[in-house]
Amino acid sequence: MHGIPPVRPEAKRRSFQLSDQQVGLLFMLPFLVTAAAFMIWPVAEAVRMAFFAYNPLRPDDVRWVGLDNFERILDDPLFWESLRQALVWTGWSILLQTILGVALAMLLHVSLPGIALFRGLLLFPYIVPTVVIALNWRWIFNSEIGIVNHALLSLGVIDQNIAWLSTPDMAMASAILLNVWKYTPFVIICVLARLQTIPTELYDAAKVDGAGAWRRFLDITLPMLKEVLVVVIVFRTIWTFNKFEEIYLLTRGGPGTSTFNLAVYAFEEGMANLRLGVAAAAGVIMIALLLVGTIVYVRVSGFGQEEKAT
Amino acid sequence: MTARAALGRVALYALLAAVTFVVCFPLVWAFFTSMKPKDEIFFWPPTLWPSTWTLENYRALLQGKDAYFQAGSATGGQAPPSAFFLDWFLNSVIVTLGTTVISTVVSTLAAYSLTRFRFPGQRAVPYLALVGYMVPSIIFVFPMFLLMADLRLTDTLLSLILGYVCITLPFCMWLMWAFFRGVPIEIEEAALVDGASRLRVFWEIVLPTAWPGIVAAAIFTLIVSWNDYLFGRVFMNSMENLPLTVGVMHFFDGTHVDWGLMMASSVLMTVPMAILFMALQRHLVAGFGAGAVKG
Repeated sequence: MHGIPPVRPEAKRRSFQLSDQQVGLLFMLPFLVTAAAFMIWPVAEAVRMAFFAYNPLRPDDVRWVGLDNFERILDDPLFWESLRQALVWTGWSILLQTILGVALAMLLHVSLPGIALFRGLLLFPYIVPTVVIALNWRWIFNSEIGIVNHALLSLGVIDQNIAWLSTPDMAMASAILLNVWKYTPFVIICVLARLQTIPTELYDAAKVDGAGAWRRFLDITLPMLKEVLVVVIVFRTIWTFNKFEEIYLLTRGGPGTSTFNLAVYAFEEGMANLRLGVAAAAGVIMIALLLVGTIVYVRVSGFGQEEKAT
Repeated sequence: MTARAALGRVALYALLAAVTFVVCFPLVWAFFTSMKPKDEIFFWPPTLWPSTWTLENYRALLQGKDAYFQAGSATGGQAPPSAFFLDWFLNSVIVTLGTTVISTVVSTLAAYSLTRFRFPGQRAVPYLALVGYMVPSIIFVFPMFLLMADLRLTDTLLSLILGYVCITLPFCMWLMWAFFRGVPIEIEEAALVDGASRLRVFWEIVLPTAWPGIVAAAIFTLIVSWNDYLFGRVFMNSMENLPLTVGVMHFFDGTHVDWGLMMASSVLMTVPMAILFMALQRHLVAGFGAGAVKG
């Protein structure tokens, strides 16, 4: 602020009003243009496309088909299979991530020399590119020369190689494991941040009252974590349900269609079958499901009311 | 320290070490594999520690396509996907940096404007951005592809940058808006009363204070655009224009899978993120605090 030259007050005031408006508009303009062209338009177009037959190789032959795309999807057994598998994939991923995330956050919360190093290492998977993890997973879970089979064989857990990525159940389990490996750090970060704000006096008082470690966890830690866990679970559920790359890069939805979820289903309809209208309709169904799911969750957990009360 | 406390401490360290081992193992194993010669990779039982250390996998990836084309013209063969690795790497760097600059600059300007000026509908913008942030990429990707085709931009790096802007801008907008809301307006007003112009105030006072928010937004954008596969897969076709993520998946194209190359490329892809992570770990956690990072 030093060195700002004095300006006569009257002149200053007038020029400010003018430049304020200009600056405000000028600053807003790039965002408005970008948002209109690359956010609002694509979403609107995605909804519109859901009512058309749309083959990218025949751009001149775009026909209005009403609700045909939706009917086609609802009649498609693969859609229902994908939905079922998406629920399995999401449910297990979220369950494991939440339990492991809370447990590891509590482990990382202890004050020990060198804990910062462990914190850093355990958060790292979150920023590892999905392609990298998928490649590594395909390698360590390789059925013939993978290290996981080797380890399990030498430990005597199994007596013959498991075909991790080419049997339906195991492929789904591997994909869930990949998701848990990559995204548990997200839960850890959120929970750890909250743990650090819980006053230690609460624990001291409980100890004096003779509460054991488990009691203290149930009576103090868990209630304190409730809010952050609700937010984390909602966000993670939405993103996991929509995940495409984690599954597609690991299994391509296979073997067969046994690891399809709705995102893979929409991708295959658009990319392999060139039915962009059907893909768009699947996308609309995904959004609708998520809206319904979120509303139900918010109602059940009473999360919205707390928000309003404060 | 009592014996019991010491024992507890040892147990904690053992537990931490075990968990860290499990978490880091896939990456460590990838690194070891990438340093083994081709035949050793197929040893059964696998050698845990490479008996021979070699850089041949890295050399194959980093020598560039000219070397292959020279060798290929003699034999009449075609360059393998790995010949394009350097091109892919450069593409990913360009696209990632381009996206990061656009998303952070556009969102910073707009967020400042939203929190300091009045215009109709301004309260709705950040919430719309948050909704936009929840929309899965699979919904955006096909309409964006058609738009890019209309603009004759498919198979260009610019199309990827625009695609990534579309998936990162909403969250950057939300983050910067939340950030500017928390920055007190009094210093700016004082400077304005002292006669500084809006632009000068923005440049000299607002930007420096907003730096942590900008860094958080930039990190988020860097991670998303470096990691994306979907847009690259749908938008791009020529081998030399692919981003890294799409390119390395072509290593599975042939009948013979070269795990050494694959693991070397996964190490090379992780290194920039690892450097970023170590340099900015503090900011990363701060960014998480400001709102959840998409994943």
